[in-house]
Amino acid sequence: MTNWLLLHYKLPNKPSALRVYIWRKLKRSGALLLHEAVWVLPDLPRTAEQIQWLAAEIEEMGGNAFYWQASSILSAQEESIVHQFQEQVDIVYSRLLKRLEKTKPDLQEISREYQQALSQDFFHSNLGLLVREKLTAKRGEKS
Amino acid sequence: MKWVTWKNIGVDRMACIWLIRRWIDPAAEFTFIPVGEKPLPERGEPFDIPGARYSHHGGHCTFYALFSEQNLQDPVLQRIAQLVDEADEVQEVTLEPAALGLDLICRGLSRISRDDFEALERGSLIYDALYAQLKADAAKSPRNENQSEDR
Repeated sequence: MTNWLLLHYKLPNKPSALRVYIWRKLKRSGALLLHEAVWVLPDLPRTAEQIQWLAAEIEEMGGNAFYWQASSILSAQEESIVHQFQEQVDIVYSRLLKRLEKTKPDLQEISREYQQALSQDFFHSNLGLLVREKLTAKRGEKS
Repeated sequence: MKWVTWKNIGVDRMACIWLIRRWIDPAAEFTFIPVGEKPLPERGEPFDIPGARYSHHGGHCTFYALFSEQNLQDPVLQRIAQLVDEADEVQEVTLEPAALGLDLICRGLSRISRDDFEALERGSLIYDALYAQLKADAAKSPRNENQSEDR
C-alpha cells in the first residue's frame, strides 16, 4: 500500500500571478490534481519535503494550506491513482521513443526531457527504462 | 549561540550548519528536536522550521535566507545557495545539474550516520569540498587568467 500526501489550499484572489505560480510549481513536482480540488503525490522523502515548503509558502502569501498524509481505503481507487501517475510520465516517454526512432534525433534535448520526466516517475515506468536503454545505445553512434 | 532545528538533517540544513559554523558563529551549538515539536526551546535561534525567520521564504531555501540576511558578499556562497535552492525546492528554472546529486549525497549521509551530530560533521566536509572546488573553478576561468596577464 502506498502512503499519499494531500494538499489543498486557498489563496487571495489577487494578485492572480501567485495562483499561477503555485499551480506551476505543483505541476512541476509531478502532483495530480483530483477533481479540481486536491493535489496528491506519493509520500516520499523528497515529495514530502517539497510539499511542506510549498504549504509554508502559501501561508506566507496570505493563503491557507492543509497538508495531509493519507492512505486510500479502497485498493481499486489506489490503483487508479497510480495508473494516472504512470500515464502522466508514459505520455512523455512514448513521445521520446518516437523521436528516438527518427534519423538523427536530438539526443541532448531528448535526454534533458527524459531527466525531467524521470523526476516525476514515482512508480518506475517500464517505458522509462526503454527510453534509457535506447539513449544509452545511441550514445556514440555515428549516424 | 544556540541554534535549533528538526532532527534528520538533509541537504539544506547540512549547508546551513556549515555556513553558520564557518561564516556566522564559529562557537555555534546545535540542538535537534523531533519534527513538528512545539513549543520550540526558549533559548536558541530556530532555523529551517516552517514559520521561522531563517526558513524558506519566497521559494528560496533556508541557506539562502541565512546567506542574504547575514549579507555575506561571496559569489561562491551565492552559487551554493542556488544549488541548495534547486536541491530542496520545486523550481521552475533549473541551472545547476549538480543539485540533484548534492541532494542524493546528503540524504545518503544522513542514512549512514549514527545521529545528526555525526551527519553534520560529514556534511560539513562535503560543503568544504564543494566550496573549495567552486572557488578554484571561478578563479581559473579564462577571463580571470587574461585579466592577470594584462596586469
